[in-house]
Amino acid sequence: MNRSFCLFALVIISLVLQSCKDEEPTPVPGKSSATITFDARWEGTPFQIQQVYLDDFGNRIRCDKFMNYFSFIKLVAEDGSEVLVKDFVLADYTGDNSYTAEVPSGKYTALKFGIGVDRDYNKDQDPAQYPSSSPLSVAGSQGMFWVWNTGYIFAKFEGKADTTGTAGVELLSPIAIHAGDDFSYRTFTSQPFNVTIDGANHVFAVHINVDRIFSPDQGNVVNIAQDAITHGGTNPDLTNNFMDNYLAAISLEP
Amino acid sequence: MRWFSVVGILFLVGCAESIQPTLTDSEWTGRVPAGFPEVVYPEDNKPTKLRVELGRRLFYDNRLSGDGSLHCGSCHVLSAAFTDGRTTSTGLHGIAGKRNAPTLVNLAWMKRLMMEGGVPTLETQALAPLHDSTEMAASVMPLLVKLNEDLLLKELTRAAYGRDSIDAYVVTRALACFQRTLMSGDGRYDRYKQGRKDQLNEKEVRGMNLFFSTRTHCSECHSGVFFTDMDYHNIGLAVEYADEGKARATHLPEDIGRFKTPTLRNIQLTSPYMHDGSIASLEEVITLYNQGGHEHPNKDNRIVPLGLTEEEQADLIAFLTTLTDWNFVQNKDLLPLMR
Repeated sequence: MNRSFCLFALVIISLVLQSCKDEEPTPVPGKSSATITFDARWEGTPFQIQQVYLDDFGNRIRCDKFMNYFSFIKLVAEDGSEVLVKDFVLADYTGDNSYTAEVPSGKYTALKFGIGVDRDYNKDQDPAQYPSSSPLSVAGSQGMFWVWNTGYIFAKFEGKADTTGTAGVELLSPIAIHAGDDFSYRTFTSQPFNVTIDGANHVFAVHINVDRIFSPDQGNVVNIAQDAITHGGTNPDLTNNFMDNYLAAISLEP
Repeated sequence: MRWFSVVGILFLVGCAESIQPTLTDSEWTGRVPAGFPEVVYPEDNKPTKLRVELGRRLFYDNRLSGDGSLHCGSCHVLSAAFTDGRTTSTGLHGIAGKRNAPTLVNLAWMKRLMMEGGVPTLETQALAPLHDSTEMAASVMPLLVKLNEDLLLKELTRAAYGRDSIDAYVVTRALACFQRTLMSGDGRYDRYKQGRKDQLNEKEVRGMNLFFSTRTHCSECHSGVFFTDMDYHNIGLAVEYADEGKARATHLPEDIGRFKTPTLRNIQLTSPYMHDGSIASLEEVITLYNQGGHEHPNKDNRIVPLGLTEEEQADLIAFLTTLTDWNFVQNKDLLPLMR
């Protein structure tokens, strides 16, 4: 073995070792899992149905029903490819909204989903075509479907309010925000993150900060004292404002 | 008679639960009225005898309403061409409905359903009255539980749709299947058109000529063999519309007061008229048109004062009565069993 060959081999070995030191361990192709949880919060604490909250406009709000659809919950992998976690879910903030799926081991950089029902599955669709286990089915949609103008209700926020903000005053003003129609569909894409999932389950916690929906700090005013009723396009301004604020009220713990 | 074999088999099924029955389905052989176009059936819901029979049973089944007091036929009565004679229909617990019950004829050819056209198919439409709190106000899951206790219906479901239990798919498909068989096209006018000139008298012929004339424009919207263009028009029924019609679905101001043109077949039997049942008689309807309707920014520009004499108005009404299909409204195959 001559000296030049030994030198060449040393160079190659050192390059290989250097390369291994600088790089993250390459994820082993295989199955990991990801869980996406959705919860609702008011000023950082769990949002309770039928509890009275004071919003930033001075309205006392009691929510009796808060539900919404999410479409195509996906993780974005480092190479830009998207991994579907769940196609459709109907989140009801009275219980657990956790969705787990097997995902390839690897590095992920973003979470994205639609708020509402994707256009291709919304208008003129027949809920009876789905098995009852589907959130899009007749039973599974739990009333989140307009039967007279075929399409899904994307988000429903119902309750009562006292717009004087006076403690002890009976809440009499109805709130019925039923957002729907394709124009009110919104898409959430998280800020970039760097999460490696390798052989274990990783939880992504999505928080809906309900107080922010009803805050003047948001660009679009949803002030129950001024406007509290919409059924999709019957009040498009309120529908759009609600959905824009909803989108802005999402925070993620990746 | 064509139901006899089906009914007979079902009777045997009901009598002998211990015997595992096997129903055999076959092609629905009902006749499309002469001169009507071919029906394009949905791929997943082509009519068969048992599907239609299942749909008929469900149509007249009280279990489809929230408290078991109503069925589809409560507001859609055959003798009134599947209307109910009320201004607006009465739903569960006597709640007044929002609209006049529409006639159910020739639905197999209708492009969209509901007066604002918000529903694409008969299958999907079946959900509307079931869910509506002013109509049958049913919850789907309890309804299905009750239906699945019925061994006869389950057996029909197996044979008709190949499913072991009655689910929303079966209910909506079967109801749609039955409703597609409600074909009406055998009035005296139809026979006249087929060459039997003795079917219309002079007065009715004068009315027919007026109806199809550019003087009245009636047939421009009430067109074709179905006497509807299946489009939406504001006819100047009101100055303000509490029910905004097509605008409910589109949210467009120009659609306020536009409603789907109703068929005129069997119109003699379907009073009161208009989406809200606000006009009691055909005479008053003709008067409204003769006066050019009420002013509204969306009113169709063909709705103008017509200048019809009293005799001409009477002629028009006489013609409209020739669209009554007496064989249809007396067809026992369209009634519930045991009546």
